[in-house]
Amino acid sequence: MFSLVNLLQIGWTSLATSSYLVLFTLAFALVLKVNRVFNFTQAAVMTVAFYAAYTLVSLLHLPGAAGLLGAFAATLILSALLEIGGFRTLRRRRASPIFLFIFTLIVSELVSYLAMMVYGTWPTTIFPSLFWPVRIIAGVAVSQWDVPAIGATIATVAALFAFLRFTRIGRSMVAVADNPDLAEFYGIAKDRVYLVTLLAAGLISAVAMFLYGTRAQVEPTTALNLLLFAIAATIIGGIGNLGGAVATAVALGLLQNGSILFIPSSWQGFLLYAFLFLAIVCFPRGIRLPRRRLVRNTPTPDLDDGKAEKA
Amino acid sequence: MEYLYTIIVMMALYVILASSFDFVIGHGGLISIAHPIFYALGAYASALLAKDLHWPIVLAIPAGAVVAMVASVLVALPALRVSGDYLLIASIGFQLGVIEAIKNLDWTGGAGGLSNIPGVSITQGHGPYVIAVVLIAIATVALLRFVAHSPYGRAISALRDDEPAFIALGRNAMHMKIGIFALGSAIAGLAGGLYAHYFRFLSADQFGIMQSAALLTMVVVGGMRSIWGPVLGAIVLEALPQALTFLNLPPSILGPLQGILFTGLVLIFMFFRPQGLIVAGDVWTGRRNAKEAAHVRRA
Repeated sequence: MFSLVNLLQIGWTSLATSSYLVLFTLAFALVLKVNRVFNFTQAAVMTVAFYAAYTLVSLLHLPGAAGLLGAFAATLILSALLEIGGFRTLRRRRASPIFLFIFTLIVSELVSYLAMMVYGTWPTTIFPSLFWPVRIIAGVAVSQWDVPAIGATIATVAALFAFLRFTRIGRSMVAVADNPDLAEFYGIAKDRVYLVTLLAAGLISAVAMFLYGTRAQVEPTTALNLLLFAIAATIIGGIGNLGGAVATAVALGLLQNGSILFIPSSWQGFLLYAFLFLAIVCFPRGIRLPRRRLVRNTPTPDLDDGKAEKA
Repeated sequence: MEYLYTIIVMMALYVILASSFDFVIGHGGLISIAHPIFYALGAYASALLAKDLHWPIVLAIPAGAVVAMVASVLVALPALRVSGDYLLIASIGFQLGVIEAIKNLDWTGGAGGLSNIPGVSITQGHGPYVIAVVLIAIATVALLRFVAHSPYGRAISALRDDEPAFIALGRNAMHMKIGIFALGSAIAGLAGGLYAHYFRFLSADQFGIMQSAALLTMVVVGGMRSIWGPVLGAIVLEALPQALTFLNLPPSILGPLQGILFTGLVLIFMFFRPQGLIVAGDVWTGRRNAKEAAHVRRA
């Protein structure tokens, strides 16, 4: 059970499944960092992304690329509607955080009920089959899904960080995340930044949901459970720390997959919720690694300029 | 007649649940949506005590309430260290974690649910039980109204509105929060026991996030922090889906349609009437204080 090959296999599978978990977490952490909202509407966006791709690929028999583009388009439209019709209105009314939260939760449930009404409650997948050809490399089974999924995740994460660092709107997002009032004082249009953030999170969610829907079955309530993982990872990683959230998502994925060595797989869901509860209660500010303190190496300047000695 | 009894029992149970939920989130300002899990704990505890240990129903139901209350205190001790959004998400984690645990344990009936729960005698009819549930619902509303208008209720309002000032006056905020949480959860547990012995079947999935959303809907639509708001919300929102059942739609359409109705109503109220159907009377804060302040200024 604890052989090297088994451990390697669990490690590789965890890494591969972490691909979409990282992206769900990144999208959630980005909105929390910039818009300061625990955004449960992300579950609605994820559900819409999946069913857009499912409709185009599985029902209309279009190629997978068309499904991904359809998922992008659907998430962009929904994200824009949510920001302009929902969040912006509530912000202008100075709605309380609980009011905002109820709004996000109710929207995600409304969308899942709509999906149930249109598509039924049966689990579905984007492609007809979930089977991907497997190659054995050093005793470890590597499916044809794994490497492109990991590649897509790395590319998406890199694109987001480049966007935040090198584009004007990306730097505005960082500024608003740091201090929204000061950013506005410097002429940054906060509403535009909030909109772009939701759109970016929507695109990331679409990539993640496309990956998930080509690997596992999805039903209208799946997105909410996936989002809870993202919340746990975001909080443990430290709110506002995108890199920490990504690293925590990988670690939690590894821990959750590795748990099958010790507990039955049916308890994996319980483990996730236990993480979530403990993360918030024990580490509401996230786990912070000790940082090296800055130590002054230069001698303290002699402020009296040697006058005391002369005297 | 049985159908009518069932509707009345469900309305009464939702009055109990919505009122106690409003006591926790509206009056107490403790933003937790895990209320249905204390409903579940009361239901499962009462059912298991009656089924496996052969306790009489009249003892099993209050025992279920005690179990829910003890569980709420045990959860509150660590969880109430955080507040706001954090408490809310911690409550979701706790709620879904307990549901997963119930689904994985054999002695709770697992994912298949707990059946053959001892119930009220069919030969005597459900009438007396229905009357008892309605009377308990009325008593619950009266109790919560009494608490909200008592000096303790004034302290609860003070804690909700300005916690630092409340602490500065030498009051223990943590004890007060745990008390609010425990009372609300015990009442939910009582409702759970009443549910279990009437319907005689429990499934963990019925106490999930959807149930939280339904209770939240009743409170928001009815009017948060008003005693009669959650009562009205519970009755209206329990009656509306029943009206839909007369449309003879297939279950695959009816279930989602009821969900869309619930969530759609909340969104409509959030944007067009955020204060709900019944506006909360400003018993301890707001208008009366504003008037007093104006009077003082004039003086």
